[in-house]
Amino acid sequence: MDASMISDLFGEVTPIIPAVIMIVGALLTPALYYGLKRRDVVTAAAMVVIIASMVVNAILLSDDYAGTYSGIFEYNAFSGLMMLLFQIVASLTLFVSVSSTETTILHYGAFNSLMIISAVGMMFVAMSTDLVGIFVGVEAVSISSYALVTMKRADPRAAEAGVKYVIIGGMSTALTIYGISMIYGALGTLEISELAARLGSEGYTWTFVIGLITMVAGYGFKIAAVPFHMWAPDVYEGASTPVSILLAAGSKKMGLVVFFKVFMVMFVGAKVVSGLDIEAVQYIFAILAAFSMTVGNIVAIAQSNIKRMLAYSSIAQAGYILIAMAVMTDYALTGAMFHMFTHVFMKGGAFLIVGALVCVGIGEKITDYNGLAKRAPFLAFAMLVFLFSLAGIPPLAGFTSKFVLFSGAIFDEGPGGVMTQWIWLAFIAILNSAISLYYYVRVVKAMFIEKPVKGAPAGSIRIPRTFMAAIVVCLVMVVVLGIYPDLILGPCKDAADALLGAYL
Amino acid sequence: MIPIEYFITFGIILFCIGAYGVMSKSSTIVVLMCIELMLNAANINFVAFSAFTGDVMGQVMVIMTISVAAAEVAVGIAIVLNAYKVRKTVSTEGLASMRW
Repeated sequence: MDASMISDLFGEVTPIIPAVIMIVGALLTPALYYGLKRRDVVTAAAMVVIIASMVVNAILLSDDYAGTYSGIFEYNAFSGLMMLLFQIVASLTLFVSVSSTETTILHYGAFNSLMIISAVGMMFVAMSTDLVGIFVGVEAVSISSYALVTMKRADPRAAEAGVKYVIIGGMSTALTIYGISMIYGALGTLEISELAARLGSEGYTWTFVIGLITMVAGYGFKIAAVPFHMWAPDVYEGASTPVSILLAAGSKKMGLVVFFKVFMVMFVGAKVVSGLDIEAVQYIFAILAAFSMTVGNIVAIAQSNIKRMLAYSSIAQAGYILIAMAVMTDYALTGAMFHMFTHVFMKGGAFLIVGALVCVGIGEKITDYNGLAKRAPFLAFAMLVFLFSLAGIPPLAGFTSKFVLFSGAIFDEGPGGVMTQWIWLAFIAILNSAISLYYYVRVVKAMFIEKPVKGAPAGSIRIPRTFMAAIVVCLVMVVVLGIYPDLILGPCKDAADALLGAYL
Repeated sequence: MIPIEYFITFGIILFCIGAYGVMSKSSTIVVLMCIELMLNAANINFVAFSAFTGDVMGQVMVIMTISVAAAEVAVGIAIVLNAYKVRKTVSTEGLASMRW
């Protein structure tokens, strides 16, 4: 199979065909569950649809297919790679939600459907060529994830998390749309490809500055960058674990895709085309990145609930990825996308273990993990690998991707070879990695060294098989991407070229 | 013709009223209404800019915003109802068991 066969088969809809296949699945699953009332059949159908879409996308991506649909959606190396990331997240979460005791039984068909719809929304964000498409895609994800967060069985925390999420999400929507309206007024267009040239000729008007600030704040809520992060720990704690994975690994990456697609292309283009001074904007993003890293890591130290700790660590990881927004080079963008991929596997894997242990009756407190290594040696080992990878210990994937990402802030393609302007950002990031090791090792210590609390059951633990399979996949990917990063680094380089290639 | 500054100022006032309401009101239903005000501030901007530049994309965006706002409020009210069923309160002070 190659891309020409797919484009012969589907004609002009080929660029959006991976998303269309998934929409079919989203329409199918509620009907299947209504008719059959069997969770395994519904999940099998959803998985078949997602894997079919993933295969089509992988074929198009490996053949360097590029095309546009009606001038609204564009398939290229960047959108293809990001769609692959969102499909991986959706397949991991759907696969484990069938055997999780936290997910709803009554509305399982709708749960599946909403999860696929949020993945499709993320894919449309990666594909769309104007701000209308990006706004609607982001809202498709937000609105379905409000419902997904609340759809947890018998937990008052989920109800509270849902209310908090819907209010803060609505506020961020309002900020975003107000920012888009101001940018539309300042630049007179909603096409992403035209924003750069218009900004270059218009310069910074006050309308544009207001629009930029509100829009960065609005999408800052989506990626949970400090100071827009306060919803994230509550929502991750309240939601069922599969939904937490979708939010931490998928929804956050979607916000970052918006940052890359809209802001990075706009400012790099304006700088290259008409020599606009963008240093002030770069410093805004650098300060956002530095605060996210530092606050995320320091507050994570104080947490006793493991899901909240992972949420704060996720805020810090978003800070690391925002380094690319400050540096705004091709190489830094490659590193950011590489880190987005490895983050899916290591953070997804850590959340999967938490979710699996909740299914067998182990709580979410870090003290509940005392003596886990005796009861479940494999799970304790896998958790150790994921946490060490998040902290950046070689030879795991987290080290390799952080190495590429941080060297993006130092390495300059010019004659000097070193970028002295952003070296402080790399320094803060490395310092933060050291801080983060403290709270990751605390969990490892609880699992391997601490004695279990008196009265706790001591037998060995058997987790559901789907969780085991997903954890093994994440574990293999974390090790493989650490030893052989070229597997994904090459496509990341192509994606960065596709996004910024016109201006290099 | 009314100058465009009037529309933008009206939008800013509406946006600030909405933002004040979101931050200060304790009933989540009122907070959802204030979010609607903020969304409509953006709609006024879009229509004004669209009419002044003669570009139709702004009006397309308004249709999208209205439908998104409707969907968001529908889901939001359902979530608030669910919270009332589980916790017997919809005030922001009552729904604050998770902090830090």
